[in-house]
Amino acid sequence: MPHEVIMPALGMAQDTGRIVNWLKAAGDPVKVGDALFEVETDKATMEVESPADGFLTDITAQEGADVPVGNVIAYVSETAAGGSSEATVSPETTTHESAANTQASLPEGKAVIMPALGMAQDTGVIVSWHKALGDKVAATDILFEVETDKATMEVEAGSDGYVAALLAEETEAAPVGETIAIISPTPPADPVQRSIASSGTVTAAPVPAPVSEEKAHSKDKIASEKATEAVTAKPMVQPVGSRILASPKARRLALEQGLDLKNLVDAGRPQPFHVADIEFLKGMPKQETGKAEVQSRHITAEVRGQGFAEFVDWAIENAGLAGERTALAGFAGASLKQEQPVVSIESFGQRHTYFVSAGPLKNVVLGDDDTTPDLIVRDLRMSHLNKIQLGAEETPVLTLTSAADSLIITLECAGQQLAADKALQLLSEFAGRMEQPLRHLL
Amino acid sequence: MREITLSQAVNEALAEEMRRDETVFIIGEDVAEAGTPFKVLSGLVEEFGTERVVDTPISEPGFMGLAVGAAMTGTRPVVDLMFGDFIYLIMDQLCNQAAKTHYMSGGKMSAPLVLRTNMGATRRSAAQHSQSLHALVAHIPGLKVAMPSSAYEAKGLMKTAIRDNNPVVIFEDKLMYNDKAPVPEEEFLIPFGEANIKRSGADITLIGTSSMVQVCEAAAEILAREGIDAEVIDPRTIVPLDEETLIASAKKTSRVIVVDEGHQNYGITGEIAGRINEKAFYHLDAPVLRLGAMDVPVPFSPALEDITVPTPESVAENARKLMSGEMIHAA
Repeated sequence: MPHEVIMPALGMAQDTGRIVNWLKAAGDPVKVGDALFEVETDKATMEVESPADGFLTDITAQEGADVPVGNVIAYVSETAAGGSSEATVSPETTTHESAANTQASLPEGKAVIMPALGMAQDTGVIVSWHKALGDKVAATDILFEVETDKATMEVEAGSDGYVAALLAEETEAAPVGETIAIISPTPPADPVQRSIASSGTVTAAPVPAPVSEEKAHSKDKIASEKATEAVTAKPMVQPVGSRILASPKARRLALEQGLDLKNLVDAGRPQPFHVADIEFLKGMPKQETGKAEVQSRHITAEVRGQGFAEFVDWAIENAGLAGERTALAGFAGASLKQEQPVVSIESFGQRHTYFVSAGPLKNVVLGDDDTTPDLIVRDLRMSHLNKIQLGAEETPVLTLTSAADSLIITLECAGQQLAADKALQLLSEFAGRMEQPLRHLL
Repeated sequence: MREITLSQAVNEALAEEMRRDETVFIIGEDVAEAGTPFKVLSGLVEEFGTERVVDTPISEPGFMGLAVGAAMTGTRPVVDLMFGDFIYLIMDQLCNQAAKTHYMSGGKMSAPLVLRTNMGATRRSAAQHSQSLHALVAHIPGLKVAMPSSAYEAKGLMKTAIRDNNPVVIFEDKLMYNDKAPVPEEEFLIPFGEANIKRSGADITLIGTSSMVQVCEAAAEILAREGIDAEVIDPRTIVPLDEETLIASAKKTSRVIVVDEGHQNYGITGEIAGRINEKAFYHLDAPVLRLGAMDVPVPFSPALEDITVPTPESVAENARKLMSGEMIHAA
């Protein structure tokens, strides 16, 4: 029976050890106490002795490699050829130590582990199993699909054989390094299917489990893991759907100048981006910059309560307000923050245009409908519509719709009509006035 | 222009206002013959007598309450609180009574009083005589808070405070009483809510209060030698706060450090940084940074005390980090 050669723990807080050099070659005869390899930690360098008499075989860690403490890096076998290929079917060697107790009832075979797809990833969610229990699989067959916060990808079986155990259910999160399936060399007599939750071994060891055992027995597996790394390398640089980090000013400048920060990402500029990066972006060859210029803005605000309606009733009764439209025009005009804005109110298919001056609402006067407005307020509160996305028009449009017990205000405009901060300011000011009219008048 | 100390400036302001308005009087511990431990009021009792420069027993709540009542009934007391640290003793008189008099009487009454007190560490006065507690009162609606940064501000703000019809708290830095600055001989007032741009710059805004204005100016000197062009602004009153000037500067430079000698946690640096964040967000190229005093009781040990407050070097160091983008990378 082969004996494992493991990376020993030489310090209290040591995670890995570096193999300085192998003092024996694969196939060499060794005796108990013979120095097998030299290991270096941050504390010291020392020789590690053979645990048994036999032949050194199945070396999986090369000189210079950093190996997690507890990982098997070679075997001392009874023959120079190494008994480990036969040993794969022996329970003692196929299930790694940490799982040996809890998984004693599992079928024999090669463990498939949850791979690490990101730098700081603890778990991966099984999106779906592509093979069922008992299925025959080839090493390159897709066994399952896994999702992390960065990406979703397919993982290969890693070895030929039969699916003898599925140890995690779909949608379940498995810790990185955890055995989630077993591929047996022969059709399984006693296949096992269960969930991580039921197995009770969920986060047994955050330390990378001694996965090198599988590596010891399967070059395919190593190859497939390398392939995995190659696939994930790209998503790490440009995470799909993830946020680009940039200072608020850099973001605003990019928006105003129709520049796409993604071009900086593609160019490999380190994030977060600052104003200096925008200068760099301006100097880059133009690509798709036109797109940003014609983009439209769509912002929504929600206002709770009946503040506006109550205010209008009160103001008509007590303050000589001409009507609701006048108040709407006054509030919209004041939110626009410009001199003497012209606001059109569209309701029930009719348009009324108002000239808005600073000061009390009585300064809002009905004007000539032919005047081009600076802003349109489209009142759809009495309709059944509640979500509006019409795209930019010639004039910025504030659309009012009603929801259950609130008022939805949507601002739509073209990028060049209102800068991002102006658009946000307009909508939030207007929403504030609609919610608490008196507060803004005071 | 002649130069006088901050002590002399305060003394002049009080004397001028007491000559101008006979309802103005001074009340507090050791204000008459002693002229306060810092000798700020020396000579005033000789001119105005003990009726208008009133020594009290050692009872801060007592004389503060007396002053609030006097203010409500037609006088303009200037209350001398020997150390800012004693403000805890008069919180009810100041915050529950004086600050709310105008509001709760529907404007029929007011409490036109000035609370003169001090702040500032590094005088080896230990934890109970070294605090800078202006944030406590700046939090209370109804109180105005002035923080003079030199003899010039000390005089101009004091005169404005005495003429204000509602309570004003003035914090003088006790380390600055002997610092001289040019102060005109002719009368002048400094309006509240008007910040002073001490130094114009393009790269980064340093907002400092009280003695931290000098710290910011010294930091700006260091930075100028390294090619960083810092703007230094003194808000002069933190209530009311001249937001407009601060925000315009933030928009111009896109980077801001707020420096104040109060404890950093929940202090006025956070308030100012928050307002800039709300109103200049899309103009910022770096997070707005707060630099306050360390959140520990002020140590007595000189070696320890000196490192609890912002220094020109620490301000400059943080400015460099903001300029290089290091702060955002850390975020």
